[in-house]
Amino acid sequence: MRVSGSGAGSMRLQLLLSLAALWLSDANEPGTAMTTRDINQQTRESISDYTVKGHDLSTPGSHLSTQDFNQQTEENISNLTSVVYSKSIDGFSSAPVEENVILYNPANIALLCNLTRASTDSATVEVTWKKDNERVESSNVTINETKNVWSTQYTLKIRDRNQMGNYTCVFKSDQEVNATFHLQVPQIEGKEHHVVSYVGDTVVLVCKSLKYIPINWIWYMSNGSDQVAINDSLMPDKYIVDEKYANITKLKILKISEKDDRSYWCQAVFKLGESKGKVSLKVLTYMTPLKPFLAIAAEVIILVAIIFLYEIYSKKKQMHAEDEKEFEQIEQLKSEDSNGVENSTTRHRKV
Amino acid sequence: MSPPANTDLGYTPPDGGWGWAVVFGASISVGFAYSFPKAFTVYFKELRMVFNVSYSQIAWVTSIMCATTYGGGPISSILVNRFGSRPVVIFGGLLCGIGMILAAFCTSILQLYICVGVVSGFGLALNLQPSVIIIGKYFLKRRPIANGLAMAGSPVMLSTLAPLNQFLFDNFGWRGSFFILGAILLNCCVAGALFRPIGMAADPVRKPTIKQAEKTVKEQTNKSSVEMLSPKTVSSLSGTEDEEDKDCCEKFNKYLDFSLFKHRGFLIYLIGNVLMFLGFFAPIVFLAPYAKHLGIDEYSAAFLLSILAIVDMIARPTTGIIANSKWVRPKIQYFFSFSIAFNGACHLLCPLATGYTGLVIYSVFFGLAFGMVCAMLFETLMDLVGAARFTSAVGLVTIVECCTILLGPPIGGTLIDTFGDYKYMFIKCGAVMVLAGTFLFIMNYYNYRMLAKEERERKATEETMKDHKHIRTETEDGNIWAKEKMQDGPEVEPLTDEREGLKKEVNGKSEV
Repeated sequence: MRVSGSGAGSMRLQLLLSLAALWLSDANEPGTAMTTRDINQQTRESISDYTVKGHDLSTPGSHLSTQDFNQQTEENISNLTSVVYSKSIDGFSSAPVEENVILYNPANIALLCNLTRASTDSATVEVTWKKDNERVESSNVTINETKNVWSTQYTLKIRDRNQMGNYTCVFKSDQEVNATFHLQVPQIEGKEHHVVSYVGDTVVLVCKSLKYIPINWIWYMSNGSDQVAINDSLMPDKYIVDEKYANITKLKILKISEKDDRSYWCQAVFKLGESKGKVSLKVLTYMTPLKPFLAIAAEVIILVAIIFLYEIYSKKKQMHAEDEKEFEQIEQLKSEDSNGVENSTTRHRKV
Repeated sequence: MSPPANTDLGYTPPDGGWGWAVVFGASISVGFAYSFPKAFTVYFKELRMVFNVSYSQIAWVTSIMCATTYGGGPISSILVNRFGSRPVVIFGGLLCGIGMILAAFCTSILQLYICVGVVSGFGLALNLQPSVIIIGKYFLKRRPIANGLAMAGSPVMLSTLAPLNQFLFDNFGWRGSFFILGAILLNCCVAGALFRPIGMAADPVRKPTIKQAEKTVKEQTNKSSVEMLSPKTVSSLSGTEDEEDKDCCEKFNKYLDFSLFKHRGFLIYLIGNVLMFLGFFAPIVFLAPYAKHLGIDEYSAAFLLSILAIVDMIARPTTGIIANSKWVRPKIQYFFSFSIAFNGACHLLCPLATGYTGLVIYSVFFGLAFGMVCAMLFETLMDLVGAARFTSAVGLVTIVECCTILLGPPIGGTLIDTFGDYKYMFIKCGAVMVLAGTFLFIMNYYNYRMLAKEERERKATEETMKDHKHIRTETEDGNIWAKEKMQDGPEVEPLTDEREGLKKEVNGKSEV
């Protein structure tokens, strides 16, 4: 779309990722780190200010929402509240801006891009939207131009997984800038450290998705480079899947053998896609802790032996010294006996 | 007040030499006994999942362990009275180790209660009491320092065990960790090996040699001197307490001295401490949750506990040194009461700390106060009852304290749950401890006065006895036994009465 505008000279548009601090403070979603650039970075001679505001999409009624609904325009479209995600690009020289949008249920969203251009930039700006690098033509796209701000909004009704992906708004004049919204399902975190268990023992592998509740969980085990689904009804005395709570899944593996030493994947199924988390199991035999155990036990025995031997040795020395002392005392008694009672008795008493 | 005369023990404690090796062993033993239950909490999360139990059910493991450690006190005392410290500690170490090794093969939470809670707990009980007892046997003049150093083993061991437990868990899982912990607990046996027996048991070596000397002297002409010499020296060597305890009722008292309940100092200590323990441990348990409640993140909250442990580590030996100084030692009970009240004051002021800095300051002072109290916990008891009766005293005290120690944190927890606010728990703990401190202060003041009075009376009777003795030697030359009886008199009394004055202890022997 070409729009002509007034203005002379080259437009110097700088892409500035300035996320309104409040909105982007919910950097809880993975990947929003990409978008955290300071508003204070507006030190460049940017005439154009792209104010980017991104905020988390949360389904209405979800009490896990961390976003303030107050800060964005919300349009009620077909019973669902629409949340606007916006990104600001500050000038054409800015680097591409990205934002992760976490969705797990169908929702109405609006993606908003604002480009603030410098007065030196050319007035003609071509605005397009792309989905996964393919250009989209849609009636849901609106383009506005105010003083120096070009804004475009793409309204989407996300209903199935095909609509998930990367949506990019492109502003093109002499140069090109864009901002990308990554629409994705929540990431499941497995466990970074492997779970240790022993042959013949039972182990419980846990996957959690606390904020977003999946429809279903599926467990996979890695078989070489493949992933094989675990069907607990087929092997009930080996695998038990506990789904007491919808957001926590537990895979209990019974009678562990060394073959079970591999990675396991828990897949959370959402309406809009799936997400996997990895948990790896390490199986040890009883021999493994036995070595440190024997080492420490040996150390204890050796120390105790040393202490007792030292004591016997020093006792022998002491007895030897005492015998000599007693001998001397007897000699003294014999010699001093003639001196009287008092001296000998006091000497003995002091012992 | 200084301890009763060392004629109580029947010998002069070395106050050094091998005693420092004993202090090292005692610090290991005490360290394991106090820090093992706390460090064990690292495994709770995993055990909860494996055995499918709630948090309170798994917390019972450490509660049972603590209860057995303190409740096993009297049994520990009886065994030490009978066999001495060394065999008991070695056996205790073996028991701990076996308990943990068995726990590695547990399949239910009940088995865990038994193996870890009861067996290991009892093993720790057999470690804790004898370690404290043997310090009293090896030290007298430097006993507060020795006590402070031995008790310093607890924070040191805790700061080692907690990360070690985490490391073992990451690499060996909980079963392997228990297995290896069993071996680590066997190190208590090494500590036990260091507890060389001392005192009456060592002296029989001398007896035969003295008797030999007597025989050779007997061959000489001076019969009266020999006769005065032999029964006297024999009795002083064997210790009149053995002969006295041959009475039927007192034979049981030899194992566990229930007559302590008639001892004024013991009762004061018991009541004061029982009161104190109601508010002693709860603040530590709830410090991290309180910090998180105020909005501080997990790592900083955990760091508060580390600060506490580090300050504690330094405070304990320092308190020992201060308590040993000539200004404090005679009035050590006042210092103890002061530290309890100081501890209470810290808790009362805690609700005023709202930020992280405030909590850090609170942790520092709390660590200091906690260390001060712990360092002197057993020293003051030794000071009141004397080293000989301390064996039984410590057992009786721990079993009575057991109840309040276990009640403290749950009561605090109930207060927090009822009012939804941590400050009432801190106020309760602070108030209880200030009350305990004041009680001990007042009662000890009374006790010191009574002891001074008794000392004056004893001196008076001694004077009159000495006069009698001089008269008798002039008039009854042959009546040697009468002389001995008189000379035995002052020696027997210190066993049953309390004695005052550092000088007296040091010169105890020469008095005779």
